[in-house]
Amino acid sequence: MKNGMKKGKITMIITAGIACFALVLVMTMQFKIVNEADITSIENMRKSELSTELANWKTRYDEVNKQYEETTAMIEEYKNNKESNEETSNLMDSELEQINMSLGKTDVEGQGVIISIKETDNEEVEKITSDDLLVIVNALKLAGAEAISINDQRIINMSDIVYIDAASVIRVNGERILAPYTIKAIGDSSYLESSLIGNGGAIDEMKKKGQDVTIDKENNVTISKYNGDIETKYME
Amino acid sequence: MIFIAILIGCILGALIGMNAPMISYTYSSYLAIAVIAALDSVFGGINSVINKNFDLKIFVTGFFGNAILAILLTILGQKLNVDIYLAAIVVFVGRMFINLAMIRRYFVDKWIKAFEERKNRKSKKEEKIEAKTEEN
Repeated sequence: MKNGMKKGKITMIITAGIACFALVLVMTMQFKIVNEADITSIENMRKSELSTELANWKTRYDEVNKQYEETTAMIEEYKNNKESNEETSNLMDSELEQINMSLGKTDVEGQGVIISIKETDNEEVEKITSDDLLVIVNALKLAGAEAISINDQRIINMSDIVYIDAASVIRVNGERILAPYTIKAIGDSSYLESSLIGNGGAIDEMKKKGQDVTIDKENNVTISKYNGDIETKYME
Repeated sequence: MIFIAILIGCILGALIGMNAPMISYTYSSYLAIAVIAALDSVFGGINSVINKNFDLKIFVTGFFGNAILAILLTILGQKLNVDIYLAAIVVFVGRMFINLAMIRRYFVDKWIKAFEERKNRKSKKEEKIEAKTEEN
């Protein structure tokens, strides 16, 4: 009886010790965790806090993303504008070049013909007049010449080819030109040539009169620009 | 003897607990529930000792069983998205208060009895002394 009591007491003591040990162990561990845990750090946040934080960040992310997209769209727009500006300026440039070329403000070169007309010493032969030159120039224009010059006087839209009887000189663009005359024209060289020679052609006619006219097809004819200024006063 | 065992257990537990590796903060809520459950068991045990119906088997199973059950319930609650640990805390802490009240009442009764006994004894002695003096 006494032995049994003692045994029961010993087990009781041991269990109490173990229970206390377990309880205090867990409690101290818990104290330590609570003491040392940094509640603000992400690892220690509760689920609800984390989810609210996450939602906040998500909205901020969305906002920033929206801003980014807007900015990208703006940049794209600017780029497009710039490109279209560049396009228009390129277009303008090429147009300007084209216009300058057709106006005769630039030196041009290309295939064409060179016509040389020399004064003959023969008294019986008619002198070269502006009419001859005009006929040739007209024929060249008809044949699709893109640029014409007479003795390096560029023929532009307002060019004049006149014969002044009193002084018996030919003026082109208001400048006096002297023989020998060289007419250069750029265009399809065979068209240009065929418009002048052949039956009824201006050069043939002139040759019949005994004037010294030659026509040469050239692959590379250079025609210099119009020297004067092109001014408009009344045109609007 | 039993107090020495309790003291040794407490000191050992504190020492090992101080030097134990840190447990992640996520699991600290389970530990807290386990501590509350164990404390409840302890107070329940003390109460049953006072009422003289203490059973070691019931105490041990209650001590560990309640703690483990509380942890499991907390985990289940987190899985179900219901704060079951709140219910566990309410139950355990409520029972702790009840047990503490019983213990308090027991000791208060004991003290009052002891006080009255002493008073009675004192008065009896005085009566005796008085009687003796009268005799004399």
